[in-house]
Amino acid sequence: MSALSNTNWSRRSLFRAAAGMAAAGTLAACGSNNGRGGGSGSGTQLTQYFHAYGEAGTEQALKRYAAAYKKADVSTNWITGNNFESALFASLLTKKAPDVFEFHPQLQLVKSGQVADLSDIIDPVKDDFNPNDINSHTVDGKIYGIRMIDDPQFFYYRKSMLEKAKVEVPTTLDELIEAAAKLTTSKVKGVFLGNDFSAIQNPIIWSAGADTINDKNEIAYHTDGVVGGLKQLRQLFTSGNVLLDAPTDFWDPSSLNQGLCAIQWGGMWSMPAMQQALGDDLGIFPFPKIGSAGKLSVYNGGWSIFVNAKGKNVDAAKEYVKWLWIDQKQYQEDWATSYGFHIPPRTSIAGGATKLKSGLAAEGVKLFTDYGHFDNIAYDQTMQTAFADVIASSVRKNGDPEAALDTCDKKVNVELKKLFG
Amino acid sequence: MTTTAPRVGKRRRKDGGVLGNAGLYVAVGIAALLFLIPFYLILRNALSTDLEITGENWKLLPSFQWGNISELFDDPTVEFGHSMVNSLVVAVLTTVGTLLVCSLAGYGLARIPYRHANKVFYAVLATLMVPTAVTFVPSFVLVSSLGWVDTYRGLIIPGLFSGFTCFLFRQYFLGFPKELEEAARVDGLGYWGAYWRIVVPNSLNFFAAIATITFISAWNSFLWPLVIGQDPSSWTVQIALSSFMTNQTVNFHLIFMATAISILPLVFVFLFLQRWLVQGIAQTGIKG
Amino acid sequence: MSTTTTRGVAQPAPAKASPARPRRGLRGNPTVNFWLFTGPFLIGLAIFVIVPIGWSIWLSFFDARYTVTPSHFIGLDNYKQILTNSGFPDSLLTFTVFAAFIVPTTWALSLGLALLVNQLRFMRAFFRSVFFLPTAVSYVAAALIWKMSIFSGVRFGLANTVIGWFGADTVAWMSNPTPPWYWLVIVTLRLWIQSGFYMILFLAALQNIPAELYEAAAIDGAKRGWQTFRYITLPQLRATSTAVILLLLIAAYQAFDEFFNIVGQKATWAQTPLMELYKTALGTSQDYGAGSAGAVILSLLICLVTLVQGKFMGFGRGDESK
Repeated sequence: MSALSNTNWSRRSLFRAAAGMAAAGTLAACGSNNGRGGGSGSGTQLTQYFHAYGEAGTEQALKRYAAAYKKADVSTNWITGNNFESALFASLLTKKAPDVFEFHPQLQLVKSGQVADLSDIIDPVKDDFNPNDINSHTVDGKIYGIRMIDDPQFFYYRKSMLEKAKVEVPTTLDELIEAAAKLTTSKVKGVFLGNDFSAIQNPIIWSAGADTINDKNEIAYHTDGVVGGLKQLRQLFTSGNVLLDAPTDFWDPSSLNQGLCAIQWGGMWSMPAMQQALGDDLGIFPFPKIGSAGKLSVYNGGWSIFVNAKGKNVDAAKEYVKWLWIDQKQYQEDWATSYGFHIPPRTSIAGGATKLKSGLAAEGVKLFTDYGHFDNIAYDQTMQTAFADVIASSVRKNGDPEAALDTCDKKVNVELKKLFG
Repeated sequence: MTTTAPRVGKRRRKDGGVLGNAGLYVAVGIAALLFLIPFYLILRNALSTDLEITGENWKLLPSFQWGNISELFDDPTVEFGHSMVNSLVVAVLTTVGTLLVCSLAGYGLARIPYRHANKVFYAVLATLMVPTAVTFVPSFVLVSSLGWVDTYRGLIIPGLFSGFTCFLFRQYFLGFPKELEEAARVDGLGYWGAYWRIVVPNSLNFFAAIATITFISAWNSFLWPLVIGQDPSSWTVQIALSSFMTNQTVNFHLIFMATAISILPLVFVFLFLQRWLVQGIAQTGIKG
Repeated sequence: MSTTTTRGVAQPAPAKASPARPRRGLRGNPTVNFWLFTGPFLIGLAIFVIVPIGWSIWLSFFDARYTVTPSHFIGLDNYKQILTNSGFPDSLLTFTVFAAFIVPTTWALSLGLALLVNQLRFMRAFFRSVFFLPTAVSYVAAALIWKMSIFSGVRFGLANTVIGWFGADTVAWMSNPTPPWYWLVIVTLRLWIQSGFYMILFLAALQNIPAELYEAAAIDGAKRGWQTFRYITLPQLRATSTAVILLLLIAAYQAFDEFFNIVGQKATWAQTPLMELYKTALGTSQDYGAGSAGAVILSLLICLVTLVQGKFMGFGRGDESK
């Protein structure tokens, strides 16, 4: 202090400077509101990341399960908006990375060492899982994630509207286009495929009898059947019989519930909300066949739980994941059937889930079993984005499907080369 | 141009006559109506039921469902009131901090004779060219390694050092009358003293202008609060707004009520500060 | 919490000057004071702005997927990839066209509004507020109004209701790119949000034009209206116009929010450069290397445009004339 006063600093300016620093200090001090409850548990802190499920009660349910776990203090981050991926991946790069997170199986996550090998906790109950859900998480014999829920996606339709227009449930894409035309009135559109059509980008590949990539990890989607399907979809898109720019997308039941369309692509999770709004006036059917080699198809999406291999508490996280997603069957059933409808990947739970045993839910399970296609861990997000561009440029825009697929091939091949050399 | 302009009375306005004036007001009126349509839609939808909004026939006036307000604040899934408080704290502190840090720097760059001042200024200017959305990931990793995720610190401090605001202050101070400072010097004040006693008190218009702009952008920012505020307890109002959009069975009336209420504080800030805003900007270097 | 700083900044200091002392020592030393004034800002800028920029540049030369601390140096491969095998070059082209359209349009609209408001004698503050108010609305909120209420593709959207009165069919304003109605959606939104702010800049400048100039012109026989506008108002607004155009240009190349919310990422058109970079680095492939390479290219481009514009329109002349 005395040294400073020698240099002609007036007391007032010192005060001013101090006030500035005090303000900076206040900024720093009022920052410790991090929302983490401390105290309970044995001192181990775990963080889990989930995207915001739309169904009421899901967030509370998840936090309830976490609170019941005694060996660690688990806090839940519930990421809202359509930015789950950015928030998750940005966090994974940091010290505050989540220990446990939900995502879809991605080969790149395994290759970059981001997700931990969970074989040891899954192996004892491996036979109880749907084999497809094991396959889609297996790389070189090791299992990297636990499927929590399977989410089949198919078409919902208003029975009354189809009866009124004398339309049969479509089994081919041609019939769907025809049905859409008959069902469209001045206030109701025939069919809703999501606002950007990207929701059906996998089903059109499967329904045309092709596949995303094959067992040898080569491109399998570039077939004449898929090209034909893209051309038909272009026809449907421009027919004026498709609902576009709906306020909500395919994952939300509003479009069908509000009577904006007669047929809507959607996920099984929407079923309870639709049944509540429409009662028995509701049916479902798989994505219809495309072309002569076509097959009915259903997209079995879903969410899986992963352990961050680069986290600080890998063992504690694995223990928690084992506790909740292997041992606690009543929670797993609650999660799958109490809010939206999802199919439990475990045979023993699916077998006992009474809500899925009857009515439309049972039909959904049947579509899932008979026509379902699961995620391929090697068909990653980069490839899916490349194929979404195909839909954009050859269905929503009047581009040549062949040329669009060629562009896609180029990107997918670069990615395949990165993954498999 | 004539050098000796004879004075013709006082400032003469254009006297377009009754007709010209009416035309002018009609033109402005139509433009104003177009600009107000979105606000009308927000209010109409905010005070309607969902059925009225999505119904087949357009309803000009809503049924004034004032209960929508309490429904919004009572919604347990999104703590809307809490997020308003967070936004307020963040916006106020960001504004205060930015004014402090950037005005000092702008003054230093503009008025303190230092050999390399221009080089420093160009370095600051260069940072404006780099889109922040792309340096976003390294910024986040950095801020996170300081342990600032889910804190006010993380929401506020990285946003204080705006090259643009510093630039505006520099331009403004370049035009600040030198005589005033010289008078301060005669009184024996140093740079620091002159700044606080002479420069700042005579620049309040400009500070108010910058405060308004800073407050708006702090209140409205989205991507940064989204990743920093991961726990709902540190959500800002923009994040709460977006979470309403992802809930299943979109509640139109709640979304629009939330939008209306999220805009409200800014409308007040505007109505109070805009007079100074115009005056303040009239004094910036931007005018040339 | 914040009162101390508020007082520090805003409260006018007491007018009473301290006893005069000779200026000596650190207090009057320009170099010390320069760093004292700029120090806090520069330190913050270095930590929170320059370090991330440098980090990005460094990343652009590495194979950085799912990591920001890569070890595999790959030279210019990222630059090659982003320029040859992605939508980035297309987006640069699109946005040059977009800028060529939106910059003059916003300039003209905000200048027009300023001229109108400036002539008003009654209710001037009211109309100024009306045009300025949209500046307060966030892009998130505006996109929501545009998407859900004005240009919604269903029967209860405002635009479809209005064209419905004239018997037209509902239009999918955003999903269907032919004809490209989505530009209407985006441009109206951008004009609505931005024009008021630039109007204020012009308004401030208009009020700074000395009335004598107009009077002199009137005496010289210049007709009111176009002639005075062309020969007096416009030249007097030159510096403001230059600044406004520069700001608009930077904003056009950095466009993100409303495109992200309205066009979305699942399209091959109207993808802004930042959206392409967002998709590359953050969205799906988590390729920070290629994303950073694109950021470097974009920054250099913005630099170049700024310099060229400065050369043609004389940015910074305002400084020298002081």
